[in-house]
Amino acid sequence: MAEFTSAVYQNEFLPDGGTDVSAIVTIRCTGAGSAGRTGSGDAGEIVVVDTSGSMGVANMNAAKQAAMIALDNILDGTYFAVVAGNHKAYLAYPMVQTGAGMVRMDARTRAEARRAISFFRAEGGTAMGTWLNLCKALFASIGNIAQKHVILLTDGENHNETATQLDQAIANCAGDFQVDARGVGVDWKVAEIRKIAQAMLGTVDIIGDPGQMSAVFAELMRQSMARGVANADLRVWIPQGAQVLFIRQVSPTVEDLTHRGTPVNQLTMSYPTGAWADEERDYHVAVRLAAKSVGQEQLAARVQLAVGPDLLTQGLVKAKWSADTNLTAQINPEVAHYTGQAELAQVIQEGLAAKAVGDEATATTKLGRAVQLATESGNTEATSKLRKVVDIADARTGTVRLKKAVEKADEMALDTASTKTTRIRG
Amino acid sequence: MDQGQPREPNPAAAPAPGEPDRGLVAEPAQPATPGMPGAVPTGSSCPSCGQPVDPAAWYCEACGGPLLPTAAPAAPATPSGDVSAQTRRLGSRASQVIACPACGGTVGADGYCQTCGAKAPSLRDHFAVAPGPWVGGVCDRGIQHHRNEDAMALWAEGTRAVLVVCDGVSTSIDSDVAAMAAAGRACDVLTARSSSVVAGEQGEDAAMAQALVEAVAEANRAVIATTAADSTNAASATFAAAVVVGDRVHFANLGDSRVYFLGETAHQLLSLDDSMAQAFIAEGMPREEAEALPRAHAITKWLGRDSVDTVPRTGVLQVTEPGWLVVCTDGLWNYASTPDELAAQLPTGTDPLAVAQHLTTWANGQGGHDNVTVALARVPAPAAPGSPGTLGAAPTEEDKEQPQHG
Repeated sequence: MAEFTSAVYQNEFLPDGGTDVSAIVTIRCTGAGSAGRTGSGDAGEIVVVDTSGSMGVANMNAAKQAAMIALDNILDGTYFAVVAGNHKAYLAYPMVQTGAGMVRMDARTRAEARRAISFFRAEGGTAMGTWLNLCKALFASIGNIAQKHVILLTDGENHNETATQLDQAIANCAGDFQVDARGVGVDWKVAEIRKIAQAMLGTVDIIGDPGQMSAVFAELMRQSMARGVANADLRVWIPQGAQVLFIRQVSPTVEDLTHRGTPVNQLTMSYPTGAWADEERDYHVAVRLAAKSVGQEQLAARVQLAVGPDLLTQGLVKAKWSADTNLTAQINPEVAHYTGQAELAQVIQEGLAAKAVGDEATATTKLGRAVQLATESGNTEATSKLRKVVDIADARTGTVRLKKAVEKADEMALDTASTKTTRIRG
Repeated sequence: MDQGQPREPNPAAAPAPGEPDRGLVAEPAQPATPGMPGAVPTGSSCPSCGQPVDPAAWYCEACGGPLLPTAAPAAPATPSGDVSAQTRRLGSRASQVIACPACGGTVGADGYCQTCGAKAPSLRDHFAVAPGPWVGGVCDRGIQHHRNEDAMALWAEGTRAVLVVCDGVSTSIDSDVAAMAAAGRACDVLTARSSSVVAGEQGEDAAMAQALVEAVAEANRAVIATTAADSTNAASATFAAAVVVGDRVHFANLGDSRVYFLGETAHQLLSLDDSMAQAFIAEGMPREEAEALPRAHAITKWLGRDSVDTVPRTGVLQVTEPGWLVVCTDGLWNYASTPDELAAQLPTGTDPLAVAQHLTTWANGQGGHDNVTVALARVPAPAAPGSPGTLGAAPTEEDKEQPQHG
């Protein structure tokens, strides 16, 4: 049985007249078990492989290999399906026209699915919205799957759909299943795939070398199988009359949750967090209160983790008004750190966007700030990825020059990794 | 002495319930400030953790949380008459839905309102005690401090009363627990000793002075007992007490908590602070100037493991006119140091709880920079109907003696 615990990091002291409270709430899950094996319902996995013409022979072969290895890592008994996607979505396995579109994994179904994958050929265009919609229909054909996860591989832009069509598909599927999306090569758009992954509570990354594809898929599937908690929600209670300034996940990646909530009651909102393995996630909660007089104390937020109707842990965010400036002037180190990490993600993305449209001045300023933030916070992954895009004159002041020649893959890797954060605790 | 310090958990030893009756807990008086209602008696379970508690205990054996006793110990040293009209026992609080004093919402299990988030007041933050119609007091966190490190323990029966006030030194660890233990223990000692002394006999003054010295020694032991062996900053507290035996008041103090007598015509400060300010006053500096010095509040004597001198200064007052005996902490007298200034803040009326609450509210209105404790006795003790000391208060069964003042 999974156990959740929480810890709150904040400076609860507000100056006279102060209204804004910020806290980092860490939620830790232990004893999660394995997907589909904790008695809380079945798990379902769908592997979606881009089979558009641009994949070519090399990428297609690597993708077939990776998809098969992904199947090898699906636990027996798990419902699964394989989808081949180009400008349409095809159910490659199980080979049915109607009825249940997924089958339970065993030695026979695994072998049959591998054989189906072996027939993939690269041809046609790309319409990822249709892929997502098919996944939703396949999960729905089984009906009682508690935990739904998709690995999606693509290599190109979504040429055969309008942006609106993709958005509609995302809206249709969001909240129904989770998607970890991977792009191979450099012809896909990070912003497009990130939109899918963020809405579908998953991750996005670049696979620069097709030879890494199998290892990436194997790891993604192992991670998914380790998520024994099918679905958890972050619940945030605030006092009557208070206002949520923002709620974001800040570790392991930055994800803004502020506008993703649904009301539980007048004072409580619920934010989806998807499935959990044995892991820790940090959330930054910022609340605006009506100021009280010095000496008063009140609760600014209850931050809870709920699985279904059960509240499994609760962190209390407090506010105490004080006249002691030694207390009120301090910024909590965790809050400061994650405020910086969120800004880091933002300036990397804005800097790369400015660079893409030829605004070198803005790009230099933003990426310079990114170097400064990454260095200050010890985010070595971001620093090393930034180093491939800019020449650093002075990391502490953020003085940089844009590199003359930059590998497209390096830029995309910086972009996809922009939301990854470091922690300042063990 | 008001600077915050990092604190560490201290496995506080819960003092054993005292033998004599310390009196019952009063119904809440008027709140000191919004969101701080009067004390609610603990009943049979701890309001902090819900575990069953001895109704006579001042601390929960399970969690160490503060309790307000709702019953006398099983075998009181002196037979007790009916409790005064304004005291009664309440049932268990843990099983009751607690309403938020700020908005009327429900207080959650986490101790905060589920609607407005206001922190539910704790017993330790504000409590009122009235062991008899002529004795009562209020102990309040004040405005600026986040914890109430003041403590108070009162007892009254017949023509006798004990008032003990301690102020935990906020720069020491767990002084809130220590102060409560000290006040409770001293009150137990003084209750036993004042009950056995024969009023008006020649040895009364000497016996009570000795009792006060012993009470301070016991209080000191209680403070040390709450201090963790490895504490780097031993808990410490001030001490001020007054024992009323008919028309005589025996008093003692250590540190800067005070004893005043505010008669209808004469106003006196009976105690003498053990403080830097008092040292300067003794050298001739005007009180106003001395008490404004930066180190004025540094105390030169205190209870605690690191104290070198715990012998209190004692004294006796023969009461010759009706008035208020006041035992208080600096959270009150900071705003009215001289006896005349303090007397000027007294409201009319002779209900000690109402007057104590009024003075507490007034101190909070002045800024509430420190914890505020006001313990009062209307003296001389009521003896019989018509006595000036009673001023309309209902006499108890024991009060058959003739008034000594008319």
